[in-house]
Amino acid sequence: MRQLRLYLEFSRKAFQRSAAYRFDAWTRLFSNVIFLFMWGFIWFALYSGKGDVEGVSFESMLSYIVVSQMLQGVHGAGTPLWEIQERVRTGDIAMEMMRPYDYPTRSLFSDFGNIAFHFLTAVLPLYVVLFALFDLQIPTSMSQWILFLLSAVLGYLIRYSVELTFGLLTFWLMETGGVEDIFYFSISLFSGSVIPLWFFPDWLETLAYFLPFQGIFFVPNSIFVGQLTGQALIEAMLMQGIWLVVSYVILRWVWSRAALKIVVQGG
Amino acid sequence: MGIIDVNHLSKQYFIAKRQEGMWGAVRSLFHREYITKTAVEDVSFSIEAGEMVGYIGPNGAGKSTTIKMLTGILVPSAGDVTVGGLVPYRERQKNARQIGVVFGQRSQLWWDLPTIESFELLKQVYAISDQQYRKNMDTFTEILRLDEFYQTPVRQLSLGQRMRADIAASLLHDPAILFLDEPTIGLDVVAKERMRTFIQEMNQERGITVILTTHDMADIERLCKRMILIDQGRVMYDGGLSKIRDRFGKSRILIVDLEKDTQLQVQGAELIRSEGNRKWLRFNREEITAAQLIQQVSIQADIQDLSLEEPEIDSIIRQMYEEGLSVG
Repeated sequence: MRQLRLYLEFSRKAFQRSAAYRFDAWTRLFSNVIFLFMWGFIWFALYSGKGDVEGVSFESMLSYIVVSQMLQGVHGAGTPLWEIQERVRTGDIAMEMMRPYDYPTRSLFSDFGNIAFHFLTAVLPLYVVLFALFDLQIPTSMSQWILFLLSAVLGYLIRYSVELTFGLLTFWLMETGGVEDIFYFSISLFSGSVIPLWFFPDWLETLAYFLPFQGIFFVPNSIFVGQLTGQALIEAMLMQGIWLVVSYVILRWVWSRAALKIVVQGG
Repeated sequence: MGIIDVNHLSKQYFIAKRQEGMWGAVRSLFHREYITKTAVEDVSFSIEAGEMVGYIGPNGAGKSTTIKMLTGILVPSAGDVTVGGLVPYRERQKNARQIGVVFGQRSQLWWDLPTIESFELLKQVYAISDQQYRKNMDTFTEILRLDEFYQTPVRQLSLGQRMRADIAASLLHDPAILFLDEPTIGLDVVAKERMRTFIQEMNQERGITVILTTHDMADIERLCKRMILIDQGRVMYDGGLSKIRDRFGKSRILIVDLEKDTQLQVQGAELIRSEGNRKWLRFNREEITAAQLIQQVSIQADIQDLSLEEPEIDSIIRQMYEEGLSVG
């Protein structure tokens, strides 16, 4: 309980800190909207002259893109990969290691604070307006909302674990441009953030199904637009749960190795 | 058994060897050679509770590496360390509660937060009771005048203010042991003095064990009865300060700028360096006074400018090598 209070204090401080960098929130929101329009127009062009594609209407597709951009806006407020790299490079990680807390947990809670601020002040208002202005699909029942939210949280935690694990490779590599590229490529393709998995060729869809990334955006997005229901929904969320456990276990293992490996740069 | 025990401690780093040229760069993708660099070699010492010890040596001697092993953020390559009965790297978080650390070159405070909020965050981190927090904050504020910059974000503090904030932050949770890595580096004379007074007070009144690394001989003279001198990872000397001072503290260096380059013949002093018209003369102030030496020089050449230097730690160590002092 006392531990939780400690970590929540980091959320609170991160929230305050975000408030000091409001401009940052606005610029991030701006680029988020640019991408939203870009993907909207691309899908509009692809759908022109067609009705349903693979049984999915343009309206559903557009809703998928909007909710996907919204979730990405939320995710963008926390970047554990960059943070850990920066801390290892500058040696500030030493300061974190000298504290009586667990770094991955504290960093997660700091991100909660950043996200809360960013969500409340930028993402939520914008997307409420967007959903009100355009004729988009939103969950039709309370249970669908709850399942979406739950799935989105699971997705966030999966991404956090995977991203921080990639970031921790800095301890071994020092230069992680390549690792970064692999991570960002995998997440943009396999998570379904811009192209839903149902448009993938069969072999790629199968591959994506067995990777953790689809649990990050594809599952919550699909629940939101009603493409994922019944038995398939339960299975998908169960899969998310399994991936969260697996990626968290891997994160803890890599962290314990990294902590022993640490070579503080300079100082 | 002391509060800190270090036995045959060694630390090696492996550094990837850079191969020359384009071909070398390609080759290093497949095959890398490593150079082993020994930062600390077979270091042993024991420190009793309440002691204040100067841990000194030239740049790259292995001071910071030792401190990092004592705080648990580096794992030793060989040997044992115990701090307050704990093996630091195995029980890092538990160790963190009993130690305070200040790195002169690096702040432990959160850059973006106002100073006072960093303190409040530490209160939560170390689960410090309201009462203890109040008491410590009152004491520290009084001595270190923290109230002058409570609301200023850490990144906007001057170096002197930042060091005051940092040392206060390191003591908030009443640690039994305090590690200070160059706590006075870059500070002006007044700030240095204030820092030394504070450190001394904490050691005497609270009985905090202090280990201090520094390049400033005055820090050691003012604060420490005992010093451990290391160079190239090895302990060169461990003992009272007076012995070293008696032996080397009497030497002074006279630097003279002559009108033209002249071969100086001086008695009671040794020419240790010569760069054109500038000469460095080392002498023992018990054997010859500065005035006598200047007189000797001025007979032989016209002096344009001169200055006197006290020996720094680096030169004391160099001298120890030359004269082969190995006091156990």
